[in-house]
Amino acid sequence: MSRELGEEPPSSLRIVRVALAGNPNSGKTSLFNALTGANQHVGNYPGVTVEKRRGTCVRDGVRFEILDLPGSYSLTSYTPEERIAQEEILEGNHDVVVVVVDSNTLNRSLVLLAQVMLTGARPVLSLNMSDEAFRAGQRIDVDKMQVLLGFPVIETVGHRGLGADRLLEAIRKSAITPAERPRVVLGERLDAAILAIRARLGTAVFAPALHGWVAVKLLVGEQAFLDAAERGQEEEAIREALQRRHQIESETGMDISLFVTERFFGFVDGLLKEVVTHRARVDARELSNRIDKVLVNRVVGLPLFALVMFGIFWVTFSVGEAPMGWIEAGFGALGRWVSGWWPDGSSSVIRSLLVDGVIGGVGGVLVFLPNILLLFLGLAFLEDTGYMARAAFLMDRVMHLFGLHGKSFLPMLTGFGCTIPGIMATRTLENERDRLTTMLVLPLIPCGARLPILMLLIPAFFAESWRAPVLWAVYTGGIVLALFLALLLRRSLLRGEDAPFVMELPPYRLPTLRAVVLKMWGRGWLYLRKAGTVILAISLLMWVITAYPKPEQYQVDLEQAAGRLQELDHEQLAAHRAAEDLRYSIAGRLGRTLEPIVAPLGFDWRIVTGMIGAFAAKEVFVAQMGIVYSMGEATNGPETLRAALRRDYPPSVGLALILFLMIGAPCMATVAITRRESGAWKWALLQFGGLTAIAYLVSLVVYQVGRLVS
Amino acid sequence: MAPADPTSTLTGALEDYLETIFLLVRDKGFARVRDIAMAREVKSGSVSPALKRLSEMGLVNYERREYVGLTAEGEREARRVLARHDLLGRFFSEILGMSGEAASREACAMEHSLSAEAMDRLVRFFEFLTICPEMDLHWLEKFHCCTVVQEDVSSCTRVFPGPSKPRVDLREEPKSVTDLVPGREGRIRQVRAQGAVRQRLLDLGLLPEVVVRVERVAPTGDPIWISLQGSHIALRRCEAESVLISEE
Repeated sequence: MSRELGEEPPSSLRIVRVALAGNPNSGKTSLFNALTGANQHVGNYPGVTVEKRRGTCVRDGVRFEILDLPGSYSLTSYTPEERIAQEEILEGNHDVVVVVVDSNTLNRSLVLLAQVMLTGARPVLSLNMSDEAFRAGQRIDVDKMQVLLGFPVIETVGHRGLGADRLLEAIRKSAITPAERPRVVLGERLDAAILAIRARLGTAVFAPALHGWVAVKLLVGEQAFLDAAERGQEEEAIREALQRRHQIESETGMDISLFVTERFFGFVDGLLKEVVTHRARVDARELSNRIDKVLVNRVVGLPLFALVMFGIFWVTFSVGEAPMGWIEAGFGALGRWVSGWWPDGSSSVIRSLLVDGVIGGVGGVLVFLPNILLLFLGLAFLEDTGYMARAAFLMDRVMHLFGLHGKSFLPMLTGFGCTIPGIMATRTLENERDRLTTMLVLPLIPCGARLPILMLLIPAFFAESWRAPVLWAVYTGGIVLALFLALLLRRSLLRGEDAPFVMELPPYRLPTLRAVVLKMWGRGWLYLRKAGTVILAISLLMWVITAYPKPEQYQVDLEQAAGRLQELDHEQLAAHRAAEDLRYSIAGRLGRTLEPIVAPLGFDWRIVTGMIGAFAAKEVFVAQMGIVYSMGEATNGPETLRAALRRDYPPSVGLALILFLMIGAPCMATVAITRRESGAWKWALLQFGGLTAIAYLVSLVVYQVGRLVS
Repeated sequence: MAPADPTSTLTGALEDYLETIFLLVRDKGFARVRDIAMAREVKSGSVSPALKRLSEMGLVNYERREYVGLTAEGEREARRVLARHDLLGRFFSEILGMSGEAASREACAMEHSLSAEAMDRLVRFFEFLTICPEMDLHWLEKFHCCTVVQEDVSSCTRVFPGPSKPRVDLREEPKSVTDLVPGREGRIRQVRAQGAVRQRLLDLGLLPEVVVRVERVAPTGDPIWISLQGSHIALRRCEAESVLISEE
């Protein structure tokens, strides 16, 4: 209190950099939202797929730049979240580190505060969810706590924005207060050990402010710190740490990590004994427990889960259908309007580029937006209520059989609608390996865009009574293959210890609309901005290779001039020309070049050209085949195309083709989003190459066996 | 099931290697193959096979560069060997009055062959001799009634280095959290998991003396749902099995 006197420098600080640290589920993100409102953006940490949220807010002429650190239980570096939190706090150059704790679980969450205090950061403590704890009867002497800790302690209610102003004020004051190292009392033994190690540390590698934390890390023998110390020739400190460690271990009979952790908990216990005047009397989870008796019930838990998933799924793809139609119609209209700038029948390059390339490409990206936003709305709701944790709890066993995590289930289910939002939904998985595995096998889940292909091909090659079973088999096969491939990946490339399924189950909470919408929008925007640029580039490339070069003269015109062809109407003529364009284009030539490679599968250049189209978007295959067979969809229904396919290819080719399109060559949007979400081209290319290779093998076997049999 | 106890297959020579690595790491901060060879007075070439064996047993990390490190298991093992060596050396020198070097030599020869039980007796005896110094004619009687000599093993380990991995627990079948039926509580005795899982469990507050309660089990039987001090946590059986408890 008294420290505040006499220090009101004339707002010398215009920018205050703040980091928010806290346990998962501490309400850190709600508080972040309350502080920054819509002024935030989500990104990834370089190299890892942990979300990075930044935001700003301006109060009284001071600009607060706030970074929301990944939720972590401690500053050890076992998980990427913890590593990032530690690195940001040690090196992030923040003026103030706000530690956000859940007031209901103080004895555990304050451990992180003690660790942050040791790092030499300027902390401010936010006792979040203080309303819940208050209702449960817990009372804290905040003034006394501030005096004991030596820095501001503010009670907040993140999702309602209560205490946000006082928190900002405290941050501002703290930032201009000369750094005063807060005292963390960890007991005689540990304090003495830290002091002794610190005394031997030089300033070459580690800044003096960090020495307390470095001492702890050397004591517990964390490799990264040992390596850094070794490089910095801190042998003396290392030796001291080792000796202290052996001394402590032999004196206490505990191993060092247990001892240190226990001491941190001990510090928190001591602090709480001083400041908690009334302990919680009521079980704050009473209502949650009652809800869980139903939702996580041994009998009805799983069926209810299936129902909830179906609900999300249904909303995503049925409610999303209408806006998708509007967007498509809108882009169609836009295309026609732009088209109208040129005279009818004009073959202007710019017109084609604008209409087919840019508008078509951007439209192709935007059309998924309603689906994605709806799905993320649902996901955000499930996450914020706390049901997602229960869902993972329910599904973990099944997914674990295939080397996946309980939370992998949802992205895979989403993949039935569209692979893109499915891959985006893997963001809910914390473990990098689980996340990559799920992402890589996701294209095997038959997405909605593959349905038109199946609708064209299955009736073309299978008798009426066989159609439904084949459709069913294709879907089931996709899922089974995805799961087994996941298992294979976890046993080979992504081998490693199973991520421990140790997960906190927060009480149920009613999320605020604002929080849910902000979360949805944050992720939706990420899709639009990042994936949009890559997808747009690939669509332009696709446009070029399917449109160029143009033939100088059309065969159909020559034939007609020679009178060898009957009179054609305008549309038929255009269709024939389009087919010739395609054959002459890079895509067509590519098709003919690649023909020998796919010949063992029974495919010819026309199919390859269709597949190049399918790379743009799976359903384009149908349109592309229509063009190859010079039949505009407008004039000839799918029946004639089916008849043509039946005429040209045996059923074994048909089946091989279906399997190839189901398994192989994910669409470019998938490749782009996998690149985006995995953070590396190698995973996107592995996914593309691997799946295509599997598809090739499967189709090869099917076609060759089929040929032998018939 | 838990892997076979590495000590059962650890030969005397391998124990010596563990000890050497441990001492090198403690005193110099690192152990390289040639340091080990030098300390053991053997050729570098004969060090590698031994390290490979130890690495197969999960006791040393011997992959990266030329630096050799002990795993947590290996360190425990090394400390156990060292504690025995230390004790025997002191016994020979302080009680039987041999010179330091000779005592150390004797200790080296003897340390690998002593059974755990014999070692335990020796520890007690030594403790008795050093802590209860009034020797008279009835010293043997005293040895049996001295308060230091009791069944509680932890009093030995307090004097001699080596973490007290509770041999106490061996007397009764240890129970883990998975043995609790939903609704029952237990007091944590020990968290046996290693590495990242262990740290995560500790960070979540699963510390000795804390009371945990099993709330429910997933429909498929696997993850279990526990609560402690107001927070609720799901964990898989394989991790939960490492949390040893005594039922309240």
